[in-house]
Amino acid sequence: MKFLIAEDEIELQESIAKYLSKESNLCEVASDYLEASEKLEMYEYDLIILDINLVTGSGLDLLKALKKQHKKCAVIIISANNSLENKLEGLDIGADDYITKPFHLAELNSRIKAVLRRGKFGGDAELVFQEIRLDTIARAAYVNEEPIVLTRKEYDLLLFFITNQGRVLSKSIIAEHLWGDDSDMLDSFDFIYVHINNLRKKLTTEGAKYLQTAYGSGYIFTAE
Amino acid sequence: MADQKKIHLLQKASKTFLITSSIIMIFSGVALYLSLKSLLENEIEEELFSNKDRVEHLLISKPDLQGIPPIMVVEKVKDPQPAVLNDTLIYDPLQDEIELFRELSGTKEINGQEYKITVRAMVIESENILFAIVFTFLAIILVAFVFLFYLNKSRNAALWNPFFKNLAKIKAFSIKSETPLTLTESDIIEFDDLNREVILLTTKVHADYQNLKQFTEDVSHEMQTPLAIMQAKIETLFNGVKINDFQYEQLDSLQNDIRRLKNLNKRLIILAKIDNNQFADPQFVSINELFQEVLLNFKELASIDFKIEHNEELTVKMDRSLAQVLANNLISNAVKHNLENHPIKVNFFKNSVQIVNSGNSELAHPEQVFDRFYKESTKRDSSGLGLSIVKKICDYYGFTPSYSFTKSPETTTGFHTFKIRFTH
Repeated sequence: MKFLIAEDEIELQESIAKYLSKESNLCEVASDYLEASEKLEMYEYDLIILDINLVTGSGLDLLKALKKQHKKCAVIIISANNSLENKLEGLDIGADDYITKPFHLAELNSRIKAVLRRGKFGGDAELVFQEIRLDTIARAAYVNEEPIVLTRKEYDLLLFFITNQGRVLSKSIIAEHLWGDDSDMLDSFDFIYVHINNLRKKLTTEGAKYLQTAYGSGYIFTAE
Repeated sequence: MADQKKIHLLQKASKTFLITSSIIMIFSGVALYLSLKSLLENEIEEELFSNKDRVEHLLISKPDLQGIPPIMVVEKVKDPQPAVLNDTLIYDPLQDEIELFRELSGTKEINGQEYKITVRAMVIESENILFAIVFTFLAIILVAFVFLFYLNKSRNAALWNPFFKNLAKIKAFSIKSETPLTLTESDIIEFDDLNREVILLTTKVHADYQNLKQFTEDVSHEMQTPLAIMQAKIETLFNGVKINDFQYEQLDSLQNDIRRLKNLNKRLIILAKIDNNQFADPQFVSINELFQEVLLNFKELASIDFKIEHNEELTVKMDRSLAQVLANNLISNAVKHNLENHPIKVNFFKNSVQIVNSGNSELAHPEQVFDRFYKESTKRDSSGLGLSIVKKICDYYGFTPSYSFTKSPETTTGFHTFKIRFTH
């Protein structure tokens, strides 16, 4: 996959590029409006990560131009402004998703994957990891083609793990992905244990081995 | 000063006028009475002396003069007596009354014979005149005062009218309003001065408030990007070089702090947005459904027992996202401070919703519970903004939030009850 990261904060741009490159994605970066619009005219990308507030222009204008050219490319807006109007405007113009700063890279990654899975970008609605298969349309999970019954949250958890496989996920990253704003109201993220343990049990010994602890309190989903 | 009894300006002016005018009336009445009385008495005495003189002259030519009793009495006596002036009561057969007379008596030797001459004048007549004059005077002055009182009152009201008008405007002025304060002009220099100073002051306060609001908003937004960078870098560290458990713990706790800042920001932005009227999309929201969704969400988070004991249909016209914030903040507050293994009760009434959670003791400052950054909780993650957002939303729509604590009779614990009344 080929991504363009249009973000004027170099540090953030680098971090995103580094995170996304892990899965043999090709990440190009643009640091201002002009660079981004030039690159968009010259090359084709599968997905653009677009900051609305680029120093030299609005990301929304870039998005409008892009939609005029009828390019088949997914757009995820990142913005420091989490107002609903901005979000709706972005989505109206044709963005596929909208994420507010600050965000976890794992969260961005899972949003990217979700956007790409959608039919119009030629993605596959099915997600396979070793003997685990997820049908993202039916929201169903299979281990060795045996269906397993997961709750809403357990399914989301498994999907999040698989999309961010090989990465260390701290409990707060997981909690924020699953519960969003509500997650900050509890002192500890112990309740994550409960959901992860339930998921482990349901995945059977076969699937559970991929779900490993990292650094004592984090998790990593890996085949290694 | 705080306990001093307050009185309206015009009433105060009227009161002062009434008091001074009644004092003037009493004093002038008394003074008039006394001066007239002494004047009349002098007159009577002068008359008595001159009458006596006349009688004496008359006696020279008519030694057998008897006089006209009781006004004039002449008696022949042996020894001379000193002149005496006194009051006496005499029966007047004409009027069949005992009348008060002023009498002057004295002896005089005329043609070798001592005569005792007594002349009298009726006091009552002069007193009647005295009272008539004093009463007429008082009546005139009273009428004048009543007239002056009403004239004064209406004059005062007209005079202070611009002041009262402007006072009402200042009272109605909200620091949050976009339009600056405009005051009615006056031709009175002091009022004009006052207006100018008030305008100066409110303009400054208004500008400061707007700046502060803008500043909070800007800071909240500007902070997002650096926070995003910090968060991204921590994740890069997690997944880059091999770190040890201790380093992971440190980074993880940093991540939690970033999350706190992020949530603080989010709340400040909500507050700013309510201030800016950016939630102007009211629609009918079923409070029952909304809260039940929120409860469902919270049940997944923690094993909390939610009980709905009273479930009347409750629909409120408000912005949906704000209703969600309201429900979320109330429930999360209850969950945060609830005692373990105690249920949280949510009750819906015809026009109010009630959230009851258990607690060990009453709040130390229940009146501050809806204030910004007021915290009684020792819980680290409490931002102190949740309930102030509840209050803000209520203020925005004219709802009434309230808090009360009831002690449970059997146990040592009690219940914190938060109630939102949706009527105005």
